[in-house]
Amino acid sequence: MACLNDTQIQAVADGEGDALARAHVATCGACASRVATRQQQIGELHRTLNAPAVPAALSARVETALAAGAAGATRLRALPGARRPTRWIYSGFAIAAATLVAVVLVIPALRKRDATVSAAEILARSATRLAAAPDRGVEVLVYELSLGGAPLEMLPEYAGGGGAYRIKQVIDHGVPGHYLFASYDAAGVQVSSLAQDPSTGRRVMAMRVDGRPYRFETTLPADRALSLPEIERLHMQASIALMQASGNQRLQVLDTPDGRAYRIDVPSLSTSTPAAVWDLTEAHLIVDATDFHVVEFAVKGALLKQPYSFSYKLLSRDVHEPGSMPPDAFEVPLEPGAIVLEGGEGSPIPAMDAFTIALRELGRTRQAR
Amino acid sequence: MRGSSEAAQALFDQHGEAIYRFAAVLVKQHQDAEDVVQETFLKLLRHLETGGDTTNVRGWLFTVAANAARDRQRWRMRWTAWLPAHERSIPPAPLPDEDGRLALARASLATLPRRDRLLLALRAQGLSYRDVAAAAGVKPASVGRLLARALTRWSVANEQMTASGGDRYGLLERHSDSGRR
Repeated sequence: MACLNDTQIQAVADGEGDALARAHVATCGACASRVATRQQQIGELHRTLNAPAVPAALSARVETALAAGAAGATRLRALPGARRPTRWIYSGFAIAAATLVAVVLVIPALRKRDATVSAAEILARSATRLAAAPDRGVEVLVYELSLGGAPLEMLPEYAGGGGAYRIKQVIDHGVPGHYLFASYDAAGVQVSSLAQDPSTGRRVMAMRVDGRPYRFETTLPADRALSLPEIERLHMQASIALMQASGNQRLQVLDTPDGRAYRIDVPSLSTSTPAAVWDLTEAHLIVDATDFHVVEFAVKGALLKQPYSFSYKLLSRDVHEPGSMPPDAFEVPLEPGAIVLEGGEGSPIPAMDAFTIALRELGRTRQAR
Repeated sequence: MRGSSEAAQALFDQHGEAIYRFAAVLVKQHQDAEDVVQETFLKLLRHLETGGDTTNVRGWLFTVAANAARDRQRWRMRWTAWLPAHERSIPPAPLPDEDGRLALARASLATLPRRDRLLLALRAQGLSYRDVAAAAGVKPASVGRLLARALTRWSVANEQMTASGGDRYGLLERHSDSGRR
């Protein structure tokens, strides 16, 4: 075996080298010497970076914070000069002085901390919140969705309403892949809906074409693909990650009838590269200040070099206990006069099912003639 | 909930010092290092309360601490206008450093790119390549190569620093942290 390169030497010195590399070092004086030098450097790194003594107050501070379960580190930082109260502080003069200090120095300082919460921190918390989807309960979301550009062209049934729809989602967090997704136009007429239930292995999709309702029923594919709510959440997470990467974030604190919220605008995301498959040019996000859930979200950009836009505005959100929902909460209602087409096993992409089933039906009809 | 708090406290007793020393390398002020530790363990508390995965708590803690340190540096950049004049007239509060070795190491580290500093700080806490990769957001297969380069750069910087008599603030002025990953 030839002598090791720097990466292999480093891995052996760190105890992560493979058996071949270790065996070589055992028989090669030059490589053994290089490993020894590396280990000496690592030892020096350990000694210097592990030198500082941990402040004695840190332990008490973290213990207090954990006991209180408080959120946010900066609020609990001890103010410079803060000490345990001593006997003199009980004098009237001292109390007056302390009050004055609190009013003049401490309260403005605390206010300043609240006001200077950063856009980066809010984006990070919002992304964390999106990533940590609940693992139980049934979530019912109602929101307005506007699509433009490439996604709208891929979803022709949405084009009639100018791309703006009201969406109802019912997501069973206890059963991955169990959900209902229904869209309604401005007049409240259902445009399309999709429901699937892993416990029965059924998927139902309904849509209108030229005013006539169609209903497609399949079994679920063996391999579980990402569900529609999961894809939507991932899209938001990815968009927020792009916003995080921008150094051009603007933060506003909004006092709304529903409470305080943060609005973050990224007016010009400049991550565009000639080869980019997906890129954003501008984005804004409004998150609730108490738990950082997304209230409003809008992006504009390019998908496969085609312009696209996506906007989401949350209207209501309820979380129900498992088992408390009515049995038909996940059902796509059978519309009168609907043409029902049944297929075999569905595909990982539900929209493909309708296309495939319709082609099969067309083929059968032609053959019958 | 009380059980989660006690578990988080026990994990702080076990890993708190390592997280503090790790954060102390990445941020400029010891108050910020303390904030990073507190934020990390509060996140751990929430993680435990929501039944989060605890198979590799040590790796998880370093990942969260690395992100918190990065966010804190960004926060400082965004909300505190940095001017070279400020850096000269108001030197950062020093970290506890009995024999001056940390000052030299930090000054040398300050000349390195942020990723190098992050990787070296993680390695100094004895993390495996897998955990280093997760916390630093790099591919596991790249850790050895990146660490080798970082260690070489740090050794060179250390030698230069020693030769120049430990010109700490001179190097700190040249330090440019973009705050980005």
